[in-house]
Amino acid sequence: MGTRVRNGLTRRQLLRLTGAGVAGATLFGGGAPWVRKASAQGTRTLTIGLAADAVSLDPFNTNDNLSLTVERCVYDGLVGFTPDYKLRPELATSWEASKDAKTFTFHLRPNVKFHDGTPLNAAAVKLNFDRARDPANKLTRLSLVVMISSVDVVNDTTVRFTLKDPFGAMLYNFAHPAARIISPAAIAKGEDYIARNMVGSGPFRFVSWTPGQQIVLERNPDFWQSGQPEADRLIIRPVVEDASRVAMLLSGDANFIYPIPGVQVDAVSKASGVTVQKRWSIYANWVSMNCQHAPFQDVRVRQAMNYAIDKNAIVNVVERGYARPLDAPDTPGVAGYSPVQSGGWPYDVTKAKELLSEAGFAKGFETTLWSGNQTDQLRLGEAMQQMLAKVGVTLRLDPMEAGTLSAIRFKPFADNQSQMNLAGWSPSTGDADWALRPLLASQSWPPALFNIAFYKNPQVDAAFAAALATADQAKRDRIYADVSKVIWNDAPWIFLHNGQNLAGVRNGTSGVWIMADNTCDFREAALRAA
Amino acid sequence: MIPILFGVSLGAFAFLHAIPGDPARLLAGPDATLEDVRAVQSRLGLDRPLFVQYAYFVRNALGGDFGRSYRSGAPVRQVLGEHFGPTLELSMASIGLAVVTGMGIGTLQAVRRNSVPDYLSTVFSVAGISTPAFFLGLLLIYVFSVDVHWFPTGGMSGLHSLVLPAVTLAAASAAVIARFTRSSLLEVVGEDFIRTARAKGVAARRVLMRHSLRNALIPVVTLVGLEFGFLLGGAIVVETVFSWPGLGWLLIQSIGFRDYPVLTAEILLFSLQFLTINLVVDVLYAALDPRVVYA
Repeated sequence: MGTRVRNGLTRRQLLRLTGAGVAGATLFGGGAPWVRKASAQGTRTLTIGLAADAVSLDPFNTNDNLSLTVERCVYDGLVGFTPDYKLRPELATSWEASKDAKTFTFHLRPNVKFHDGTPLNAAAVKLNFDRARDPANKLTRLSLVVMISSVDVVNDTTVRFTLKDPFGAMLYNFAHPAARIISPAAIAKGEDYIARNMVGSGPFRFVSWTPGQQIVLERNPDFWQSGQPEADRLIIRPVVEDASRVAMLLSGDANFIYPIPGVQVDAVSKASGVTVQKRWSIYANWVSMNCQHAPFQDVRVRQAMNYAIDKNAIVNVVERGYARPLDAPDTPGVAGYSPVQSGGWPYDVTKAKELLSEAGFAKGFETTLWSGNQTDQLRLGEAMQQMLAKVGVTLRLDPMEAGTLSAIRFKPFADNQSQMNLAGWSPSTGDADWALRPLLASQSWPPALFNIAFYKNPQVDAAFAAALATADQAKRDRIYADVSKVIWNDAPWIFLHNGQNLAGVRNGTSGVWIMADNTCDFREAALRAA
Repeated sequence: MIPILFGVSLGAFAFLHAIPGDPARLLAGPDATLEDVRAVQSRLGLDRPLFVQYAYFVRNALGGDFGRSYRSGAPVRQVLGEHFGPTLELSMASIGLAVVTGMGIGTLQAVRRNSVPDYLSTVFSVAGISTPAFFLGLLLIYVFSVDVHWFPTGGMSGLHSLVLPAVTLAAASAAVIARFTRSSLLEVVGEDFIRTARAKGVAARRVLMRHSLRNALIPVVTLVGLEFGFLLGGAIVVETVFSWPGLGWLLIQSIGFRDYPVLTAEILLFSLQFLTINLVVDVLYAALDPRVVYA
């Protein structure tokens, strides 16, 4: 049936073959050019895959790590953090703090311009901080600057901040990634403009933001630090699904991805052309115990719980070795940290049982653990369940979605049903004050802050206040060393571990860093031949 | 349609606010002091009584203003607009692929019933329906993107980035359409008028195309409409796996943050889409089936 054309094919069959051939050639013939290797898009373009999209590009109004990461590429602050979380000068070349920690004076770098040509001067700095601390603007990071009572322009390159009360940690607040300086001309264009556009003084200029797709930044040739940056373009893409993000790195679509989920680190380390970047975070993982209710009211019970958990097993099995046990309530890298018990709280089942017995719980007890529902948290919960069973404690696991968890954790004391809570904290200012006070001061009981252990110790409260009353770092360090010991022995938490942040880097890519607070730093991004 | 949409908006509003989780607290972060949270609440208007919030919502919605996203502060219309295009593109590519493949396979199965191609196609269909989209998507990425570099691993960057997500989505739809087409066609083929046509001497192909398929199309059209409606609702899993910035992707992002304005508007949009598709399908019925007459 049908007219025979040639070689025994009917016309219909020939047509089909031709069609398939053309389609095939179109789709697969151009295999190589369709691979979006970073270098094909123009000189020195880096593609970065991160776990979420930015929320807003206005630094004083953002809280999420992704937005802060992007803002850090385009904006500078008076001071900032190195990839190792040490203070470094940015727009300020030097500064002085008064002895009473109430006055902070900054000397600005001369001849710096914003990306739109506006000059940087003390007036521009004043404008930024006045905007941030004005309660009428209702900016999200108001609390970083609310203690400032006035900002004064001493001269074009000198600006002075006066605080209402002494606040020794203030310098770290200025280094916080949200405390960035925006061009006054951009601020004048209104809130909507700066939420979607960035005009700063940093190494990269803002090109575009297509929500959900990508943020494009280009090199600032007039950057105040000569020789930086090396890369011409940065393309930052949100890839929510972990496995897809890893695929992006492995296929060459990305130069840098963060984070790599624990389960895939081995696969990435074995792949060719990529390496795993491991950097210690300043995030402390712990399980809080409700110190105001039985059974955790008794410090012996809390200490027993610490003895009952094998931190090394958790580090090796649950965290695959990419962690270390906590040896203090905060972590190395935090200014003011000092170790209390080297190696972490010892694992001693016998001692745990003894203490429980002394406290009247020889038969053990039942309790509930609240946590989020990510895989690693579930595994941690199960590990703890097994370990606590050995000392007679029956642990019920109650994993929840983030919003629900947040809602029940922050209920005021009278309504709060917390028993044990798997949580953690990292101080975004890198300072011991913010590492400890929001978690352990009695003024920080929910809903005010995150003291979900409902811990209350007047000695500790007094120490926190004393450490804020001075800007003398040596003095502050001593106070924090002492108060850490008190907190450790009071054991309001089961002190778990401090982990490493893991990123994937394509060979030849450099200057891309994970920061200890879970944001990233791309200011010195560079691409060299692999 | 309007009363239904009103009802949906009320239901969505009530339901969303009943779920535990405070958007202000989530936006402000665990880092935030109570003053920070209260500042956010007041900025978002969350400190007003619920019925006041709903009243404002309806009043503004009637004027076309759906408020601003809690998360980004951008107008909801703009946010939805940005994400609607990608979903539409993906849905149309998927449904097109699914219809062509599904109807082709289903017809083939009906015509060559109980033969080897029929059984093979059944296996294909069952696999298509039972393979989770998540698994299929990642499998395709790892084979066609990581291993042989034929397609990008994700993102929306032109026609070649559309292929893998469209294929993943089309797989399940095509399988269902194939099954439906097969059974519907088989039913029609058994009818008397088909036998009459063949007896008259009409060529087999003409009978198939002109008579059987046309009549078999009606239930298939309903199905395709339903499938398209689901796809327009944003294939959440596929959009997440492929970082395809559509409405499903937006939905997941917004739920975590309890972004009520975006969520309410999306639910309303999905309802509107379904209602519209239903309408179109009903009209198509009338076009396809001369027996159907609307009063």
